[in-house]
Amino acid sequence: MFSLAVESMQGGRPSQNEERRRSSYGVQGNGAVQDGPEGFDFGSRRRSTQLQHQIMQQQKPFRSMHSNTTIDKLPDKTLLHILGFLEHKEICRLAQVNRKWRQLAYDNRLWSSVSLRPEYGGLVAAPPPDTAVHLIASRFGAQLKCIELPIELITAQVFHELANKCPNLVHLVLDFSNAMQLHDFNDLNAFPSKLRTLNICLSDVIFMEGFMRKIYNFINSVECLQLIGTYEKVSEEEEEVHETVQITKLKSHVPNLRVINFFGVKFLDDNHIEAISSNCVHLECLCIKFCTKYTGTSLKTLLQRCRKLSCLLMEQTGIKSEHFQDAEWEKSRVSELDITSCEITSAALIDVLGRIKNLKWFCAGHVDGFDNQVLDSIMQSGLAKSLVAIDLQSCDNLTEEYLFKFLEAHGNQLLGLNLAGIPWLVETFWTQSVPFLRKIKILIMGTGKIVTITRVSSKIHVDQIIDCVAVNCPQIERLEIRWDPETLRFSDKSSKFIDTLRVKASKLRSLTLSDGEYFELVKSNFERAHRRAIVRTTVNCSTTILPLLPYFKDLRFN
Amino acid sequence: MAGKVRLSSNDNEVFDVDLDVIKLSGTVKNMLDDLGVGEGGDASAGGDDEIIPLPMVTGAILKKVLVWAEFHKNDPVTRDSDDDTSKRTDDIGQWDSEFLKVDQGTLFELILAANYLDMKGLLDVCCKTVANMIKGKSPEEIRRTFNIRNDFTPEEEEAVRKENEWCEDRDQTPR
Repeated sequence: MFSLAVESMQGGRPSQNEERRRSSYGVQGNGAVQDGPEGFDFGSRRRSTQLQHQIMQQQKPFRSMHSNTTIDKLPDKTLLHILGFLEHKEICRLAQVNRKWRQLAYDNRLWSSVSLRPEYGGLVAAPPPDTAVHLIASRFGAQLKCIELPIELITAQVFHELANKCPNLVHLVLDFSNAMQLHDFNDLNAFPSKLRTLNICLSDVIFMEGFMRKIYNFINSVECLQLIGTYEKVSEEEEEVHETVQITKLKSHVPNLRVINFFGVKFLDDNHIEAISSNCVHLECLCIKFCTKYTGTSLKTLLQRCRKLSCLLMEQTGIKSEHFQDAEWEKSRVSELDITSCEITSAALIDVLGRIKNLKWFCAGHVDGFDNQVLDSIMQSGLAKSLVAIDLQSCDNLTEEYLFKFLEAHGNQLLGLNLAGIPWLVETFWTQSVPFLRKIKILIMGTGKIVTITRVSSKIHVDQIIDCVAVNCPQIERLEIRWDPETLRFSDKSSKFIDTLRVKASKLRSLTLSDGEYFELVKSNFERAHRRAIVRTTVNCSTTILPLLPYFKDLRFN
Repeated sequence: MAGKVRLSSNDNEVFDVDLDVIKLSGTVKNMLDDLGVGEGGDASAGGDDEIIPLPMVTGAILKKVLVWAEFHKNDPVTRDSDDDTSKRTDDIGQWDSEFLKVDQGTLFELILAANYLDMKGLLDVCCKTVANMIKGKSPEEIRRTFNIRNDFTPEEEEAVRKENEWCEDRDQTPR
């Protein structure tokens, strides 16, 4: 647009200078609508262009050559791209800059995924309900795909607005976890009806049936159902556990479930799982982590009925060895299995792992039964050949010798490995085994999460390990080294090794260390190189091999 | 063994560029494909003296773009599936952040060029840099940083502030 204006002003054939000027400022004409610059001084522009020419011929640095190109010259599409990198908090501030920026900030393409939960969305408090209703209609609209609502906003009015204004909403999170009482849902007569994912964070004391009864008819499109329990908010004394959601009833209204996550649902037991497994042929992923009442009597039926089930996560459930063995693993498709902190015997493990055919991803941390014989048996049976990720943290019945043999044979196929919490795996073990881990993306080593009284006897020279990872693991994305500051030994040469890691491991996005001097050293090294937020402490961050799960994005662990 | 291509900027500066460098530009790659060049790295198929005109880019900016492309020519092709990084702006590499220590005008010119040349990697890293310049600033600071004129009436300004105060940290006094 601007280039046209120039041409009509000059008339005739543009000179070379004009040609140059026109194109350098006419780029924005590339399909995007752009306001013309106000009060433009063409004369001074021409002088500056001539000046540019001279500078260019003298091969001088760039300075001020493009000082007339302001942010307003960027097409809206590009500005939206920039805004796409900002949090909603920042976008709200941008809206207050001027009219043009307000229009950009309110573009509903920037508001397709919104969290109104204070503790997750970076907000200090949830917006008042009338503000929320206004936002849904005016700012989110048809682009809204995913929204998270805190208890204050779980109201009939909000649901009506979402149902009417947001036809593309597919992902809904309802957080009841802080609820003291439910709103009144007698008036509720509309609800988003195209949901694919429904995530309900439960409260211990709120009975959901009154609400659920109102929404049952709207949710049959849901493929991914998550009920997040209150396991993490354990109180000291044993309280009475209420069945706040009627699982069986809920199940009958969501026939097409592909992914089910009952994370820490205290009241969940085998009867529920039995009910879930009937008529649920599409189920591919079941997570019942921290459902302590579960004992596994329903496991056999589950595997029989849900033939497509490939991912089964049972961390810290009460599963018994005999039920674990009872299931027909040889006929199942399970390829990702988590039995962390389950009390399963060595014999049961040898039996089951001998029958599973294609195990790719396996978590068996804190399982005392996972010992040398088990490891030996999976190497003999060939099961180890299919593994791409394994978590054996704190399996302290495993010896250095067996683990080394395992890594020597299969290290080159592993993408993820967690061997933290096994005290005798120190520097020598790691410097010898890391060279096998050519493809590794996630690697965790050091002391266990729970600090044990038996300190590592020898000091760990971290430099050698860092160097070894830098040289051998080009694919590394997440690395956690958990030894405490008193055990880690480093020197004034450490910086050099950190440099090597930083340069060689270009895909590294998370490096977790115990808080201490060495952490500070690594952190400042990375920050100097403008790679912020990569180095973290074990306090804030705990690395797991979960990101390697195919269902990682469907599951939510909070 | 990759061949070379000749590019000319809008101010008639001509650059001889390796094919494997300029392949990062979707726009140039398409032009070459149309000319039937590039498949086997055989530039001569399009004629030795074939010059690709890039009328939207100045020589100075093109030079800078090519420096960037030369450094990044061997980058692995990023897949869009790796998308929990999509909102991150803290993952700008050291070389890139040095490269982008330029005045605002040059930065915006680079964005325009990356846009025109269809170079996603360069566009992203430039846009992230601008996003980082916005982060943590008040509306007035943003105006000052980018020399933006406030054209709100006092009433409008008050209205827009109210509309957005739900998103604001409560402990921060509104400016």
